[in-house]
Amino acid sequence: MCKGLKTNFLGVELASPLVLPAGVMGMSYSGLKICVENGAGIVTSKSLTKLPRSGHEGPVMAEVPGGFLNCMGLCNPGLEEGLAEIAEFKKLSTTPLIVSIFATGREEFTELTLAANRSSADFLELNLSCPNVFDEFGIPLAASREQVFEIVRAVKEVSRLPVIAKLSPNVLSITDIALAAEAAGADALCLINTLGPGMLIDIYARKPVLYNRFGGLSGPCLKPIALKLIYEVYSSVKIPIIGMGGIQSGQDAVEMKMAGASVIGIGTAIYYHGLEIFNRVNQEIRDFLEESGYESWQAIPALDKIRD
Amino acid sequence: MDKRVTLRIADIVKECSDVRTYIFQHPLAALPGQFIMLTDFAGGEKPFSLAWCNDQEFAVTVKAVGPFTQRLATKAAGDIVSIRGAFGSSFFISRHRALLVGGGYGTPPLYFLARRLLEAGAEVTVVNGARRSDDLLFCDRFRRLGVEYHNITDTGGSGREGTSVNLAGELLKTSKFDYVYTAGPELMMKSLIALLQDQPCQFLMERYMKCAIGICGNCTVDPLGLRLCVEGPVLNREQVERITEFGVYHRDAAGHRIKFTDRGEKIT
Repeated sequence: MCKGLKTNFLGVELASPLVLPAGVMGMSYSGLKICVENGAGIVTSKSLTKLPRSGHEGPVMAEVPGGFLNCMGLCNPGLEEGLAEIAEFKKLSTTPLIVSIFATGREEFTELTLAANRSSADFLELNLSCPNVFDEFGIPLAASREQVFEIVRAVKEVSRLPVIAKLSPNVLSITDIALAAEAAGADALCLINTLGPGMLIDIYARKPVLYNRFGGLSGPCLKPIALKLIYEVYSSVKIPIIGMGGIQSGQDAVEMKMAGASVIGIGTAIYYHGLEIFNRVNQEIRDFLEESGYESWQAIPALDKIRD
Repeated sequence: MDKRVTLRIADIVKECSDVRTYIFQHPLAALPGQFIMLTDFAGGEKPFSLAWCNDQEFAVTVKAVGPFTQRLATKAAGDIVSIRGAFGSSFFISRHRALLVGGGYGTPPLYFLARRLLEAGAEVTVVNGARRSDDLLFCDRFRRLGVEYHNITDTGGSGREGTSVNLAGELLKTSKFDYVYTAGPELMMKSLIALLQDQPCQFLMERYMKCAIGICGNCTVDPLGLRLCVEGPVLNREQVERITEFGVYHRDAAGHRIKFTDRGEKIT
């Protein structure tokens, strides 16, 4: 991998700034591994819960112009088996891995964190923002500054791994939430989770297209919103940001870097461009570095902060 | 492409007590081995390989095994369902001597393949195996195609007694085939590998599918990470021989690993 793509994230050297986000290809060690083989610089497990979850009944995926609605519903084999998949991945790869966890409150998050401490993961992501489990768990934790603060602080007290808070775009002020996470000691932020959720109706069946009725929106249509929210948060916090939402090209990735993200997630673009998307975006970033005269990814500056 | 479309069931053919073929009047651009995702809006969306597909219509053959497929069994012509697809890889269309080895519920997609092979000028031999003769699917349809056709069941009955792999093994010894295709229970397909000579072989593999568009990762196979909804469900012998979970385990909706039983069936 070209030297220009190397980047440092929370003290760990990455071969590429491209991240496989939670919920994409991360069900098994082999799914994670093939994303690394295709050029991802960090991979994220599925969000693991204490007990296995089968997720929502299908349909769980529906295409819209510019993206997809999905309501996977946090399917995962549970913490124990999920960590075993991670261990198997780590036997085969030195690529850094983020273990993502989902829980309903502070105590459960703490319990999962203690288990994650014993894993071979490099980072811990708190999924505070799944938009597809309203019926079960109510409004996501990421909607509340107080809850985010309390959970991040409790997790930071016990976590051996750097802690990343994954935030939702579906709030009045994502900056307030980001500041709460930072104040509680979060090492990094990940944004944005899927937007909405939204819905589609089948007019012949007179039924929602998704069996869960609602699903989070992902895909290229998200990019302007993701850029705006990342830029807003970047302007207010000092901790690094994993940026994601609608990235499909090296140009998109550079745009998000300029909005203030340190590393960039690619998820839904796998559908449009195949798993090769990681290598293609890596190459497009290299081309941009060359034509623009930046010596490395890390040397690409962000815009001036809003309040500068 | 995702291409969701809502359709009325045009016709339902009862194949045997718990197996039905659902026919739709819709020009679906699909190739043998590919599958659709089908839902009836009442909870659940499942993958089904195409049993045939032409400019006017397509069909899927479904065995009522779980809550979703049992509910499908209560549908009538005129009822509404929605489909996405077709998805996945398809069978290579050989123009030479082809041997098709099907077991049980894996046979219908081989019927679609047989039709396309014949159209391409191939010489087609079909081995259709099942536990009992009542479970043999598509016998008449295959016979009407004019292929060399062999029935075989565990109990004898209307054809030979044995397994489709036994019979395929005999045919492979006595005749020369340029291409072998197989679909059915995974352990059946696995035992076929040992009998192959150096000819290419393609396998129709099944795994739990959710998104069907290569994103969710539920259907990736170890250790290669191939997504059966994109790189599969039709895989080449060279790929299958490197899949360590082939005939050993599969993952359920939660990603939990489940071992195949001795009969090669999936426990769900």
